[in-house]
Amino acid sequence: MDVYLGVDVGSVTTKFVLLDGDAQLIFSLYLRTQGKPIKMIQEGLNCVKGEIPTGANIRGIGTTGSARYLAGIVLGADIIKNEITCQAIAALHYVPDVQTVIEIGGQDSKIIIIRDGIAVDFGMNTVCAAGTGSFLDHQALRLSIEIEEFGERALQSHNPVRIAGRCTVFAESDMIHKQQMGHATEDILYGLCQAMARNYLNNIALGKEVLHPVVFQGGVAFNRGIIRAFEEILETKIIVPPHHEVTGAIGAALLAREEVIERNNGTKFRGFEVSNFDYRVSSFECKSCPNRCEIAQISLNGKILARWGGRCDLWDRVST
Amino acid sequence: MKVGFPHGGNIYIPLRTLFRELGVDCVVPPPNSKRSLNLGTKYSPEGACLPFKLTLGNLIEACEEGADLLVQARGFGICRLGYYTRIQEPILHDLGYDAEVMKFTLSENFKFIGILKLFKRICDGASWLRILRAYHFGMSKFRDLDEIERLVQRVRPRELERGSANRLFLEATHAIDDADSMSSLKRIKKDYIEKLKGIPQDPDADPITVGIAGEIYVVLEPFANMDIEVELGKLGVEVRRKLSYYQWAKYNFYLNPLGINEWRAVRKAAYPYLRRDVGGDGWESVGEKVLYSQEYDGMIHLFPFTCMPETVAQNIMSSTKEHIPVLSIACDEQMGKVGMLTRLEAFVDLLEHRHCQKRRGTP
Repeated sequence: MDVYLGVDVGSVTTKFVLLDGDAQLIFSLYLRTQGKPIKMIQEGLNCVKGEIPTGANIRGIGTTGSARYLAGIVLGADIIKNEITCQAIAALHYVPDVQTVIEIGGQDSKIIIIRDGIAVDFGMNTVCAAGTGSFLDHQALRLSIEIEEFGERALQSHNPVRIAGRCTVFAESDMIHKQQMGHATEDILYGLCQAMARNYLNNIALGKEVLHPVVFQGGVAFNRGIIRAFEEILETKIIVPPHHEVTGAIGAALLAREEVIERNNGTKFRGFEVSNFDYRVSSFECKSCPNRCEIAQISLNGKILARWGGRCDLWDRVST
Repeated sequence: MKVGFPHGGNIYIPLRTLFRELGVDCVVPPPNSKRSLNLGTKYSPEGACLPFKLTLGNLIEACEEGADLLVQARGFGICRLGYYTRIQEPILHDLGYDAEVMKFTLSENFKFIGILKLFKRICDGASWLRILRAYHFGMSKFRDLDEIERLVQRVRPRELERGSANRLFLEATHAIDDADSMSSLKRIKKDYIEKLKGIPQDPDADPITVGIAGEIYVVLEPFANMDIEVELGKLGVEVRRKLSYYQWAKYNFYLNPLGINEWRAVRKAAYPYLRRDVGGDGWESVGEKVLYSQEYDGMIHLFPFTCMPETVAQNIMSSTKEHIPVLSIACDEQMGKVGMLTRLEAFVDLLEHRHCQKRRGTP
């Protein structure tokens, strides 16, 4: 049996998925990156090895997420793609007539506008973390609510309070104020959901035409309070596809499948031994010019595999 | 006396040449680097824009190398450029540098006369003829660099070995900077144009085209925009850019006073959405999107974070009826290159899909 591996190494979480030849999900894995991407990739691969059906062969592998290049080098990826394209591919896979993709993760949030099966526009949060998962995480912590029960609690609200959601700092002081006034926790929670949805639509989706069907992906789609807030504001149904927390990795696996079939000459996957390899990452400061770029390099058994981080291509060109 | 000035794209090349020809001792501050940025950020008001911070960093670095006469631009327009010298001068004085700041006013009608007068003031002994000749030599270098850069933009997405055009461009920049006579400049230009044309290219390449517009400083200073043109070249994109310091000087110095304005058509195109100057290059950004929506596959709009004129433009650009995708990138000291590359990659993916579809649609 042919299977395809998709790996999404984000700043907060690392996701692995295995798809079979018909693009059905066999297995998915969700780990915290904890600032140690290589270790997490190796650990994740070990888990995949344990879960892979007998007789199955990894035919292709795709990586995405902010550590996609690192993951691509460590694993030997057939395709390395940015997370926006991967999310769009995955959304189209589950909902072929999708026109809008909302994706909210831990550190970033995106909107992808799709028309006739092609991504035509996208937006991504730029300078601020308001409107991302970490905003909710942070506020839940303040209210001593587990993030997992945030959504359910929010849905019990009858009179949501209005909270200034433009900025996490202001949201926080506003929220404390509402708490001190004696509002119920449920009402504050749902108020936060509404603030976040408003913030998202005012910032990331600014000037974009949000048309039905709307697909909601990313970890925050677990939160049913947010889903309802979006449904109320947009006055449309929000579709949350299956496995929405790993859609980036699914997109990468789908792209790897396409790539390998098109290229028709096997995968570059380094094999499961990768888990035991001793990859070493180090960095140094280049002193060739006043920029003092931080050059990072990854090596395996003393052999340097790749270098990156420079403004010019001086170190990229040094034979590795 | 030692003259210093801030950076902005390759503007240092004509200036250095000019001062050298006039026999004026001049300090070219080190190219923009993390150090210039850190210095500039440390001593600037927090909300100031990136060009303010970087040019302040340059001026400090020039003072460190002994400059005691600084040339900086100012304007009386609608954007913060009007305040640059007003604020940078006391900051420098507070830091203990008592360099004189000489202002070049950008909002005068006769800038050509203004700039010649400025050189005359700096180099009092020189005759007008000598100043004109030095000016001419500097401008010739500026013009040739501009021409070579346009060619580099064409070659980048088509070259078979990525990076060849860039390496040649760097070489050419140094060679032109060092040229000491009109005849050697002519030879260098011819030489590099031939070399660039000789780079093996993919004859079947059909690169997508992206127009770059926005605030002139961040569009033209590679450090401020994180080498966006080079990165786009790596992704196989042909960059079209109307803004250039040489063209700016050409029009503002000679042609605008004669009533010839290169932006007339662009501004007119913006009319349905914007009918007046909003400062900076905001009007032109909007117009360029409208006017070139057929020619470009997409546009990248670059502006300094907190730049009022371009923020106005950004909001209009996202909603005109001429629809081509626009990627807005706010440049400031907080920007990370990884985040920018992710956006560029996704943007190029999107444009390529559209490009393929358009090609299939019209045989």
